[in-house]
Formats: sequence, structure tokens, C-alpha cells
Amino acid sequence: MKDYDYKKLGLKVGIEIHQQLDTKTKLFCRCPSELRGNKPPDFTLIRYMRPVLGEMGLYDEAMLTEYEKGMTIVYEGYKDTICTYEMDETPPFECNYEGIDIALTIASLLKMTIFNELHVSRKNYLDGSVPCGFQRTTVVATDGEIELESGKKIGIEFICLEEDAARKIETDNKTNYFRLDRLGIPLVEITTKPDINTPQEARDCAERIGLLLWGTGKVKTILGSIRQDLNVSIAKGSRIEIKGVQKLDWFIPLINNEVSRQLKLVEITEKLKERGIKPETLEEKVIDLSKDLKNTKCGFVNKGIKSGKKLLGINFPGFNGLFGLELQPNRRFGTEVANKVNIISGLKGLIHSDEDLNKYGFSNEEVEAMKKKLNSTSDDCFVLVLGKEENARKAMNIIFKRTEMAFNGVLGETRRALEDGNTEFLRELHGGARLYPDTDSKAIIITNDRINDIQKELPEFPWIVMKQYSKKYKIEERLVKDLIFEGKLKLFEKSLEVYNNPSLILTTLLETTKALSRDGVNADEIIDTQYIELFNSLKSNEISKEIIEDVLSELAKSPKITLKQVKKQLKITKLSEADLIKIVEEVVNKGTDLIKEKKMNAFGGLMGDVMKQVRGGIDGKIVAEKLREAIKNKMEELKL
Amino acid sequence: MSEEYPGYSKDAIEVLKKVGAEIWSIVEIKTQSATYKGILLPRYQLSEPGFIEIKLESGYNIGIKLTKDIDIKVVGKREGKYQIPEKSFPTNKKLPNIKLFGTGGTVASRLDYTTGAVIPAFTPGELFSAVPELADICNLDTEIVFEILSENMRPSYWQQLATKIEKEANSGIDGIVIGHGTDTMGFTSAALSFMLKDLSVPVVIVGSQRSSDRPSSDSALNLINATTVAANSDLAEVVVCMLGSSSHKYGLIHRGTLVRKMHSSVRHTFRTIGDIPLGKVENGKIKMLKREYRKRNKSKTKAITDFEEKVGLVYSYPGITNDIIDFYVDEKYKGIVIAGTGLGHTPTYIYDSIKRATDEGIVLLMVTQCLNGFVGMNVYSTGRELLELGVIAGKNMLPEVAYVKLGWVLGQTQNPEEVKNLLLTNVAGEFLEREIPIAFNYNAEEL
Repeated sequence: MKDYDYKKLGLKVGIEIHQQLDTKTKLFCRCPSELRGNKPPDFTLIRYMRPVLGEMGLYDEAMLTEYEKGMTIVYEGYKDTICTYEMDETPPFECNYEGIDIALTIASLLKMTIFNELHVSRKNYLDGSVPCGFQRTTVVATDGEIELESGKKIGIEFICLEEDAARKIETDNKTNYFRLDRLGIPLVEITTKPDINTPQEARDCAERIGLLLWGTGKVKTILGSIRQDLNVSIAKGSRIEIKGVQKLDWFIPLINNEVSRQLKLVEITEKLKERGIKPETLEEKVIDLSKDLKNTKCGFVNKGIKSGKKLLGINFPGFNGLFGLELQPNRRFGTEVANKVNIISGLKGLIHSDEDLNKYGFSNEEVEAMKKKLNSTSDDCFVLVLGKEENARKAMNIIFKRTEMAFNGVLGETRRALEDGNTEFLRELHGGARLYPDTDSKAIIITNDRINDIQKELPEFPWIVMKQYSKKYKIEERLVKDLIFEGKLKLFEKSLEVYNNPSLILTTLLETTKALSRDGVNADEIIDTQYIELFNSLKSNEISKEIIEDVLSELAKSPKITLKQVKKQLKITKLSEADLIKIVEEVVNKGTDLIKEKKMNAFGGLMGDVMKQVRGGIDGKIVAEKLREAIKNKMEELKL
Repeated sequence: MSEEYPGYSKDAIEVLKKVGAEIWSIVEIKTQSATYKGILLPRYQLSEPGFIEIKLESGYNIGIKLTKDIDIKVVGKREGKYQIPEKSFPTNKKLPNIKLFGTGGTVASRLDYTTGAVIPAFTPGELFSAVPELADICNLDTEIVFEILSENMRPSYWQQLATKIEKEANSGIDGIVIGHGTDTMGFTSAALSFMLKDLSVPVVIVGSQRSSDRPSSDSALNLINATTVAANSDLAEVVVCMLGSSSHKYGLIHRGTLVRKMHSSVRHTFRTIGDIPLGKVENGKIKMLKREYRKRNKSKTKAITDFEEKVGLVYSYPGITNDIIDFYVDEKYKGIVIAGTGLGHTPTYIYDSIKRATDEGIVLLMVTQCLNGFVGMNVYSTGRELLELGVIAGKNMLPEVAYVKLGWVLGQTQNPEEVKNLLLTNVAGEFLEREIPIAFNYNAEEL
């Protein structure tokens, strides 16, 4: 990964963190705040969204782009946990008090100024993720800060309390499927100021805020309950919003790749200037090449033209080499343009002359013929698209517009984070111009008494908790942090009350569960009371630690399963030493031949046989001790 | 309530005036802990006193508590600018001509993000901008008759509407659409049904349950469906056309005298009661579900609008007292509709007031508060006694429809015999000949 002189580049990064709150019910209705996983829905609804005219009697660009996609939206719901509010069939109920209190707690921890009167606003979304077409959101506090481990303070601009959107299940052709269970779960959105100046600092800041949130014990700590967006710009570039940064590990590559992208886009602008190319030089002259290439050797073009599609071409004078310029690893300017075409028109892919056209199957004669018809020289770059005429022309228009913008360097836009650290165009930047008051709900008054009550009982900062726990239980700070991020700090404390064995509890809660997850067991399903029962049994020696993994794997099957049932299932019975000796003797007798052959080295194999019968009913240490003793005796008996 | 500072309390207005801040001023407000910049907004009536409300640059609105140490500075002014789109509604000679009457409420609207206000769009040009699909259905002309919330509807407004419709229908229009708030839509549809004699074209009443300022609104689809029915159906009745399901799929066509709003908020709130809907409209296609309805014709439409406003609607309940009926008698009412329990009953302990009412010539019309089914006043002794006291049995009529009909009948005649005859005449499909088995709980999906 390339490092940059971020200071020289004037890198500015801001973070938006969305965190679900752990409330019993949703923000504006009293449905349980509960995700239903893969459970098939009980009913579906079909809806269409329409853009709303803005104040100038015009539609918002981003909204129109969404509308032009012509999507059908299908909502999926459950009879028992979804109400008419989520279906956009009933006005909102009172804003969830518990949610407001948690937001106030977080705002206080971030040393923010809390507003005394909160107004619920509507933020338009046309992608269908919210059935009413807007998200209800309210700004709770402003102007805070968070101190990084380095001592640097990052400003916090806003904290908003809002509803989570519906869960997107799939896109099938022109239909988006959304599940309503996630819709309305309270969420805080924390926006930092663009005070962050290096990718590492961005990562540190996100982790710090995440730690602070999870340390309150009042937020949801399941996978997907925290989501980040990034705002990145360099001095010569523009603000780019990167949505859907799912993991902290993505921060550094994403920011570096965005820096690279912005630098290269600026480089393109500079090269055009050097070459003396001006925006006026470009002409949106789209030429139909279908007739000329109807017998092309390029298979898919040939097939396309025969099926009635059109092959359109456009020439960009002076652009030679620029479409092929790599902006991000494996993503060229051409990819950038193609991506935008795909998102808006649905047309997949374009061909440009910076690529090896022979690779597509075009013959040299065909390339020359196209160049001639498009009036393209070796200084230029031409671009081809194949599609139904209307769509192909629309695509050409997008290509022209995007290429024209190459003279302006970096365009402010919203991009989607990709797993490989790159980003792709998602939509135009939404302005503040899509917020308007929610006429269905009244203002929420936050009295100073309420703020004072909350500030009297603020939880400790997690980094202080980490130090305290580390000292108290003689464990590494890192492990306490892991407990916080696993949402298991409270469980850890509760477990210690029944079984004072910090290291075993830590291993069980952090490592064993991870091992289980790797084996495909959903360890998140295990509930606190099941863990407590397990630790109780370990303390009273009813089961041995060797069988913890097996027990947890059974418990994970349902929160209703008790330890007693698992013991029965796994045939675990508490063994006395006498029982053990009997089993050991049997195994040793049966293994006489092995002992004759391997002597003391027969231990490994025989231990396995014994453990199979012991089934966690007695501590493994004792088993090993007794087995060793018995083998020794046997060897003496055999005079080995 | 201050006109200059709507929604603001006295102390807030004082402070704002002192610094010269007006609504829409851009202000900078310094409090002990922070500084905010934004546009000073009008507040809703009945807002909490002692607050100043601004819209921040981020678009969010906040309320700032007025304290002694607050410092407000005016730094500019921003007024909402409304630019009406300059598109004109295209005309196509092959398409039917439709007249759209507005009564208030917003079939289509624009948002003013500066102020958060919703601005109705109503001229044909504006409607074309908001719902361009309309141009594929008809040639549209619009007229705002009045601008009221539908809960503020009055019989005199029904009369105005009926007169307008008579004029349009007789001057060759192909269909009429009325944009109407949903609260009293069923009353208006009943009133127009009785008032419009020999109707020649469809009169389609439409509204929306989700306002048009939200992307999920049902208004555009309802408007498209209603316009389709007005333009292309062979009906000549007053009907309500609204979505038939929570999904944005199809609209149902309900007879004006059998329709009722059955839910306070869902999209498919309107149901035909006592029968199945007249028809269904989906993707521009109309499917009639009933065979018996008035067809388009060449007759001259007559608006018979006289209406007696001294008519009351009383809901019977355990514990009701004679005073309730006595009040109407004392106030010289001419008729009372009683929404009785079950088959059409009141407690026997208000017989005195009922007797007094009929003795004084007041028309008492009994319908059932069950909404579904007929009154059956010969089944139990209470029913028979009420008939004996002079109460008229209103068959299957919905209480609201009965109220409108009684007012309209008393507007035509006050002669007791004529009143009774007209009340028991099926004027506009309000009476059912028979109740079909699925009427009570039909599933619109399966029709």
C-alpha cells in the first residue's frame, strides 16, 4: 500500500457512524426491535415511489436518478413483529423515551451541547429502503469532541437520533426486496468534523467512537449494528462520501485508494490542459456503427447487432491514454465512466480504444474502419457501447457528461465501498435540500432536569474501564477491549460472580466462541443464562473444561436448551475417581498390545479412548494422571 | 397569536423584535455553550412557549430555549421562493375531456425546503409536472371550487359542487373528477348522489391517505385511477375511487351511497358496505364487478340541491338519556337519524323523548350502527314499539348516508306522507335489494 504525504496533500477525513441502540421497541412504534434473520416473511406489499417536487418546482437530481430506474419495491413483513406503522399506514407514535435517553447519554459522553427542543425531520429516500419515502431523523446535540489515544481531539459535529432503514434482501431485475424488521430500530448517527488528517487517524477515531458506544452497554452489539461512512477530500479534490464501510480494516485502504483516485483525476485534468484540450473541443457526436460492424468477428457485438441492438461510438479528441489511466488498483478512468453508466442506465460495460481491441475479437481492419468513421486519430480515445438504441443513447449521454467533467478534476459524489478497498459510483451527493419537517410529530422538549439526571449517571469511558479491569483481574487491556466489542463485558462480570476463574471465562467467551463460529456454529445464539449455567457446572466439577466447546455447540442450537438437556444429549455424567479408574483399567487392558509396542507412547491413543467414555464428566487433568499411572502399572506388570 | 411571529410566545416576540429579527431572517444565536446559525422559522400554533426555532444550514430544525444570556444577531434574510413550473398540459383530440374540481387538500404538491411548507400543485400545468401520466389518459381542465379541510365541509358546499357538475355535465364534458379530503368523502359522495338527477357522465371522487408531499403517497396512483374511470368507464354515477389494497396495485370503484371510510389511516380505507364494489381499475384497465349500474347517457343532468340543515345524527348507547332527543326537539330540528343498536333499537327508557319528537312532527329515521345488514324492526318488541312510536325503518342505509338523505328529502318536501315515501324510495342505489353472501367480508384481492 502506497503511503502519501497526507499533510502536503491536505487530506481531510470526516466519519459518520451509525449505531443501533438497544431499546426494547422501535423509535416511533412499539414493535419489538428485533431482526428475524432468514425466517420467511408472512406477507408482502408492493409499492412505487415518486419524486416530490422541490421548492423551485423541480425535482432533486439524485431523486430523479432513482425514479428513472423504474424500480418496483416489495416489502416483506411478519404478522407478529410488524405493525401498520412500518407499512406506512399509520402515523408515528410517541418518540421512544429510552432511545432519546441513550442518545442523550452518548451526546453527554461526547461533551456535546444538547438542544432543548428537538424537531423531527424527514429525509427523503427514493430507493425504497424506507416505505414512507423518508427517514424520520432528529438532531439531538452539536459541537462535541472525542480524544484519541494520541491525545488529538476530533470535533463532533452532530448526533442525530433516527430510524434505521429496512433491510435489503435482494434486487431481482427491476424489483428491490426489503424486509421490514430492521425498519424503525433506533439509531444514532454521529458525524465528526473533517479534523482527521491521516487514514490511520480515521481508523483510530472510528474505533474510539465505536468503543465509546459499545462501552455504554446500551447499544446493539450484533453484526451489522454499527455502520460507517467516510467523507474524504484532498486540497485539490472534492468531498467524496463513501457509504457502507463495514469493517475498520477497510478504512486505510479505502482512504488511500480514494486519495489515489482524486490525485489521478486531477492528473487527467492537468494532462488535458498540457495537451491544450478544452471542454469546447468535445462534441457529443454519437455515431451508429452497427452497419459497419454487422459482420464483426467480435462475438458478442456480432450477436448483439443481429438481435437488433445498436453499436454506438463517440470520439474524445486528445484523450488518448486517459481512459486507460489507472485511478485505483485495477480501476481505470474507463471503469469509472462505465460504472456510472451501469448504475444509471443499467447498461453493462463499455469499450474504449485505450484497451487492446483485438482482445475483444475486433480485427485491425475493423478498428481502422471505426477510427475513420469516428474521425479518431492516435491522439484521441473513442468509446463504444452496445445496447438497445434508446438505452445506448442514454448511456452515451452519461458517458459524454462524465467525460466532460474530466476537466473539473474530482466530482463531489456518493460512492459505495467495495471489499477490495476500491469504491464505485452510487449516486449524486444529496444536499441539505431534502430535509423538511415531519408534520406528523410534535417537537420533543428536553428539560435541563432530564439532561442533569442523565449526566449524573454517565457510564465510565471504556478506555478507563479497560485499565481498571486489566488491573483488577490481571488480564491484558486488549482482552477487555475485545469483551467490549463482543458485547460481553457485563456477562464477564456476571460469570466471575459464579466462577472466579478470569482466564477460563475469557477463553470461553472470546476464543471458544470464535472457534465455534469458524466451524459454522452460530455462537451468538447462546444467551447469558446459558453461559452462567455452564460456568456454574464447571465450578462444581459437574463437567470438565475439555467439553466446553461441545456443550456450547449444543447450547447454540436454541436459547431454550438447558445445560441439563445438553448433558443428557452428550451423555455427560459426573464421574467419581473410582468410576474413572474402572474405565482407565478397561482401556489399558484392551490396549495391552499397543502398550507392548509403544510403551509410554501409547498414552496419546489410549487417552482418546478414555475421554470418549468419560465424556467431560471429570477433569481432563485427573484423567491423564490416572491413565499415566495405569500404563506405568501395566508396563511393570508386563515387565517392560 | 401574532401574525408576524406565528407560534411564538410573548417573551420570545419581545426579544426578536428588539434585535430586529423577523421570520425568515438569517440569525446567529449565541447561547452559553454554543453558537448556531440558521433561518428563523414560524412555529406551529400551540408550540411550547419560550423557544426560538431555526433551520440550521444542514437542513435540520432545532428549538433554542430563550434565556437571559442568549444573544441574537440578524445576519441576513432568506425568503422561500416558489417558482411554478411553466409546463402546459398537452391536449390530444383523441382523448376524453375531463374536468377536475378541487375542494382543498392536496392531490399533488411541492415542497419548500427552506420553510418546510407544502405548496399545493393544482393548475393543469402543475399537475402535469407532478403526474405526467395524466396526459396519456385525458385532456384536463381544473377549477378550485373551494379550499377547505374536508372536516369543515358543509351542506352548502355540496350544493355548490352539484351545481358546478350540472353545468359541466350539460356542456359536453366526458367525465368529472373531484379532489376531496378523505374524512368526509363518504358524506359528499352520498350528497352528490342524491342531488344529481339524471346524471349523464361519471363523477369520481378521489383523495389520498398519504399526503402528496411524500414519495410513498397514494395520491398520484389514485388520481390516475380516478381519471381513468372518469374518462373511460361507462358509468354515470357518483363514485369514490381509491386504492383497494395497501399495495400500490389497483383502485376500487365504490357506489357513492354505499361507501364508507373504515380506517383512520390505511390506504385502502374505503370499502363498499353491504355489497361488493362496482368495479376495479388497474394499469389503466377497468373491470366492472357489478352488472347493475347507471350507464353513460345523453340525458340532461339536473342538480336538485335543496337541503334541510336542521337534521341530527344520534348514536344510541347504553345509558343514553331522553335529554339527547329532547335537545333536538327543543332546537326545532326537523329530522333525526338514529344509529340504533343491532336490528335498530334504542333503550326503552328513551321512549318518552322519541314519542315527544314524533308527536311534534319530527322525522325519526332508524338505521343500524352495525353498518352491515338491514334494520329489522319487526323481530323484537322494542323494534315494533319504536315503529309504533312513529320511527321509520331505514333499511340498510349507512348512518351518514341516512343523515344526508334525510336532509335532502326534507329539503324537497316537509309533507309527512311525501317525506316518508321519498325516504323509502331507492333514489341513488342506497338501498340494497338483497345482501349477497360475500358482501360482509369480501376480500378485494379475490374479486
